[in-house]
This record gives sequence, structure tokens and C-alpha cells, in this order.
Amino acid sequence: MGKLKTFKGGIHPEYNKELSSSKAIRPAPIPERLIVPLSQHVGAPCDPIVSAGERVELGQKVGHSEAYVSAYVHSPVTGVVEEIVSRKNFAGQTVTCVVIAADKEQADFPKRSGFALESFTGEQIREIARDAGLVGMGGAAFPTHVKLSPPKDKPVDTVIINACECEPFLTCDYRLMIERADDLISGALMLKKAVGAERVIIGVEANKQDAADILKSKASGTPEVSVELIEVKYPQGAEKMLIYALTGRKVPPGKLPSEVGCLVQNVGTAVALFEAVAWGKPLYERVVTVTGPGINEPANLLVRVGTPISVLIDACGGYSREAPGKLIMGGPMTGWAQEDASTPVVKGTSGVVVLGKEAGAVVEESECVSCGKCIIACPMMLTPNLIVRSAKRGQWDRAKEFGALDCFECGCCSFECPAYIPHIKYVRRAKSMLATATK
Amino acid sequence: MANGNTLSVTVSPHIHSREKVSNAMRDVLIALIPVTAVAIGFFRWDAVINIAVCMATAALTEVVARLIARKKITLNDYSALLTGLFLALLLPPATNWWAGVIGTVIAVGIAKELLGGLGRNYFNPALFGRVSLILLSTWYVWIGGGGFKGTINGVTSATPLFYLKSGATGVRPGYLSLFLGNPGGSLSEVSILAVLVGAAYLFYRKVITWEIPAAIIVSAFVLSAILGMDPLYSILAGGLMFGAFFMATDWVTSPSGRNAQLVYGLCIGILVVLIRKFTAAPEGVAYAILIMNAFTPLLDRVLLPKKFGAVREST
Repeated sequence: MGKLKTFKGGIHPEYNKELSSSKAIRPAPIPERLIVPLSQHVGAPCDPIVSAGERVELGQKVGHSEAYVSAYVHSPVTGVVEEIVSRKNFAGQTVTCVVIAADKEQADFPKRSGFALESFTGEQIREIARDAGLVGMGGAAFPTHVKLSPPKDKPVDTVIINACECEPFLTCDYRLMIERADDLISGALMLKKAVGAERVIIGVEANKQDAADILKSKASGTPEVSVELIEVKYPQGAEKMLIYALTGRKVPPGKLPSEVGCLVQNVGTAVALFEAVAWGKPLYERVVTVTGPGINEPANLLVRVGTPISVLIDACGGYSREAPGKLIMGGPMTGWAQEDASTPVVKGTSGVVVLGKEAGAVVEESECVSCGKCIIACPMMLTPNLIVRSAKRGQWDRAKEFGALDCFECGCCSFECPAYIPHIKYVRRAKSMLATATK
Repeated sequence: MANGNTLSVTVSPHIHSREKVSNAMRDVLIALIPVTAVAIGFFRWDAVINIAVCMATAALTEVVARLIARKKITLNDYSALLTGLFLALLLPPATNWWAGVIGTVIAVGIAKELLGGLGRNYFNPALFGRVSLILLSTWYVWIGGGGFKGTINGVTSATPLFYLKSGATGVRPGYLSLFLGNPGGSLSEVSILAVLVGAAYLFYRKVITWEIPAAIIVSAFVLSAILGMDPLYSILAGGLMFGAFFMATDWVTSPSGRNAQLVYGLCIGILVVLIRKFTAAPEGVAYAILIMNAFTPLLDRVLLPKKFGAVREST
């Protein structure tokens, strides 16, 4: 085998996938109360279209927005709306949430049957994606129907399924590839039809050889779908890095993948699109990897949106230590540290990672020693050290020149930094200052 | 972490390579073992005393400077000890011990701590201390004392660089002798092999990358050849190898981007040869690196890497 394709820069963290990779997906318990945020996505928040005391059915739309860049929200259970509240979400932003008391008895979702892809047009698939409230499930949570509607002058020829799962610890996509390979490929073909592409490439990191083999055999009768193994390196699953590794095309700074004729969707999103089109099922549940050294029994759980993560931790045998050091929603590289376990799961929650005390110990940031490791690690070829220096001095234009707006916050710089500088803190500050400056 | 069950809430990423600045400094100390051992082997007590005095002075200076500035004592980052060892290795073996003390106080006290400590210094502290001593000794003869004043680079016999400058070849040490071990010049200029063994460790530990040393050595070699100096002798004699791998690669005072590093190294190599050829100074490595230290912020700012996917403005 030749050298596997990849990108320049990046890091090789410990992956720790073995903690949960062999655990088949199982349903998580449904809590008595679910807290369903009406903004789980990039774009305009939804407005509640239910009120306290109202009965809701499983999959019934509870949040709506007229804005194009937004994603509808559906009830994850059958039950009664208790109240509409404002609450902090996983990232610390205040969002409106619908609190739903779940019925004791929960029926399965009434799946539509007799599906045939030929009977759907691309336009219909885009509509279904919007009606089902689909978002990118790799973590970014960008509304899928928007991504499926690239500008007319930028035709998409290649659909890329992001099957890298390059974040350490997470295995939810891996389990979907193993357990739902057929549905994943169907979903990929729907994506292809929605944008009128010619081919589908499923990019799998080489540490998931078995999943790639399954996908290859399932796709053997479908010549327009290919499965490619690529190097294990973080952040191989970043959109621009993945497109480059698989096609050699480089998305210019500030541009979208459609600029180079590509559409990238994550494994979970493809499966969710399949469920929406074939079954008529909106996005109200997802697979969440609950793992880390601080968890007794790591698992891959099928979780209803709105479930507090404390429920998942209990479902996994609880904390394995007296007190966890860090509770992360998402992966350890880009996820969000939580103050407590009451935060509800949203559509973009790929994992709950519990790290021990040593990870929780805050190492004080020291002066930059210009070692250049952040520059070598940066997959975007930016100069993180200079962004930080500019941000500290309030020189926002310089921060922009050094790439603050091109940074997608993968965290490679801080991972390598011997001075423990939290570059992303400074990048976010620069982004928000530059955003207010242009208003 | 006020109460027991508080979770740590910091910005991502939440995992780390676990490398620390102090690890890297310790690695450089380890990488200096071969050079130090060779120096002690050749110069015995002269070397031992220089090294001990400089390292002790460095530690003391840092503690005092930080006490005065009411800052946290940072001896555990090893950077002061490293500066002390570096300065000792840059001095000729016959240097008076008090010259070592003065040089170290200047290196750690002025070049480093006065500017705000590790990370804020513009000049390589050890080189700054070394060059300060050379300059001071031209005004205050007593500093040179038993050492370098009035002789070439501190030893009473001609150093290898003397032959390079004068063009005399008959009695000069051979290439192999320079490579394996030839006492002449400063403590660190004895054996190229010892320098390379230490450098290999630094590469292995990823403390340094190839850009700066390679640019220095190649440019010095090529320019020497162009100017009619023995190019191989140019890179083997004097402090060029030690400077290229250990001094010019100092994290804080060298550029952090690859393009800037290449230009920085290129300029150092050129300056070394020009200083050796056209000035009265016998050795140019220390001056060349210090001069380029001053350009490091500019180089880093101007020679930025090309952003991923960036194309020229016109296209």
C-alpha cells in the first residue's frame, strides 16, 4: 500500500477509540423531562410554536423560523409541554428551550415504508431535509438544506462523506458505518441527487479499516460511490482538509466547498437524511458516544435531543472517579467544557467525554517562546503565535492579516504549545472584535 | 477549583501533547552534554570552573532579578541554567572567572530579565553576554585579564580561524582534527562531532528543525567558496556549527515561521563569512546571530506562510 493521502500540518493525539469502538449502539433511557433548545444550529433561532400545557406527538414540529438559514426543531418524545424557558446551552449562549414532560409510554416512530429513491427529485430531497430540521451532525450544526443549495454558478460534482471521525475518543460515526452501512450509502446517494453531483467519495481514516471494508462491499454494486482510506491525522475530518486529501482541490480562504465543486456531509447527517427521506422521520435523536477515562462503562447511545447529559452518564455506570476533572460536550479537541451535567444534548452533540482530574488541572499560560510549533501544526498555514500577540495588543487588523478569520478552531496549535497558550480564546476575541468593527 | 466538585471549564482543546517549555530547555541541556564533556576533557579545571561559575551566577542573577521585580521565580524552566552553560561554552578556557561572572550577569540580568524574562528578550542572552565581554575588554583591559584580550579568541596559540583569515594552510589543523577534536577558540569549538551528536538529539526531540542550521551552513559554505576561502574549513572551524545548531535556533530570538527561518539562516551564514573576511574580528558567528536576532520580529511579520488555498491577488 502506498502512502495514504492527507494534508500538511495537523497533529497525532492519542485516539482512545478502543474505549467505546466495540460497543453497539443502544437506546439511552428517555428522561421524564427533556429540555429542547430552539437554537441547535448555525443561523436564526426558531420561535416556539407550542405553548405550556399543550400535548405534543413524537416528531411534531415545536420550533419554526421563516429564516432560510435555520433548522426546525421537533419534539423528541410524546408528552406535554411544561414550559418555555431561557437557558444556557452547551456553549454558554442563552437560548429559548421547550421543556417537555415525556409520557411514561413511548411508541416507536411510525416509519413510512415503500421507499424508492427514483421517485424523489433533488428539489424534494432538499425540502425534506429542511422539514426534518437536518443539520450537520459532526458538531458544526450547519443547516443541511442550505448546504444542499449551492450557488447556481458553482455546480457540485463531488459529494464527500466525512467518515474520518478524527476527534479522539468519539466512535458514534464508526458505529453507524458498521451498523447502518446500507442506510449510509442510501443517504449519500440522496445527497448526490440533491446537488446533482456525479460521484460520492466516502473518506475513512485508516484506523477504521473494518468499517471501510464493510462500506466497500456494500457499495460494490454502485460504481459512483467510492470508499477511500486516508491517513490518521487530526483534523483530517475538517472540511477543507478532507476535500484536499480526497480530490487535491483547495478551498480558498473565506470560501465554501462549493467553490471547488464539493459538498461535504458527515456520516450521521447522511444517515439522518436517509431516515428523513425514506421514513419521514425528523431529526430528534442521534448517536452520542459517552466515553473517557472518567466514565465507568463507555457506550454509544441513541439519544433523544433534549436529554440532560447526567442521564447519559448514569446510563453508562456513572463517573469512574470520585469527581471528574472535565466534562466535555463534543470531542476533546473542539468540544465545550461544561459547568455541570444538566446541559441537554442537541443535534450537534457527537459525544460526552469525561476526563479525569489531571485534565481538569488548569496549567497557567506562560509567555510565548516563539518555538513555531503552532505554525507547523496549523492545517490552515496560519501563524497562531502572531494572532495571539496581535490580540493581546488589541491590533485586530493584524490579527486578521495573520489569519484570525481563517481559523476554524481545530486546536492543533494549543495542543502542541509548550507554553500552554489558549490560542482559540484569542482567536474568538479577534473574530468578535472584527465582526463588530465591520458592522 | 474552589470547592471539591467544581469542573474545570476552559476553552478547547481539552487535551495536550504534554510538552512544556521546561522539557525543551532540559533537552537542550542534555544535548549540550557531549560538547561540555569534550570541553572538560580538553581543558580540565579551566572548563569546569568556567561552567560552574557561569551556571551558578546565572541562577543567582535570575533569582535576584525576579525578586526585585516581584515576579515568580522560574528556575524550574531551566532557562537560566542553560544561559549560564551556554555563556561558559562560548568563552575561551583561559577566561578569568570574574569575567564569566560579569558576562553572565549581563546575559541573564540585562538581556533577559530586564526585558521581561524568557519570551520577551530580543537577543540571545548568552551571545549578548559574550559579545558584551568582548566589547568591554577593549575598554577595560582587566576584564580580559588572563584571557582573550590581546590574543586571538582567548588562547595564546593561533586558532583555526586565524589560518582561515590569513590564508596560511601549511600548519593549520586538518579537517579530521577539526571534526573530531581540536582545542582552539572557545570551549564549544573543540569538536564538530560533539556538536552534531547533540544536534541529532535536538532533532530527535523536535526542539529544532532543519531550516535555520541548513540555511546557515549552506550559505556560509557557498559564499566562502565564492570569496576564495576554503569552504569546508569555513564551516568546520570556529563556532559556526555550534552557532548554527545551538545558538541561532534559540526559540525566543529566532523566527518561528519556515520562510522567515530560511532567510534568517541565509543572512547569518552570509554575515559570518563577510565578518570573518572583511573585518578585524577573528570570528563572526556571535555578531551575525545577534544582528539577525534584531531582525527576527520583522522577518516573522513579513515572511508569513501562504495560507491554505490562498492564491495570488491577480488570479
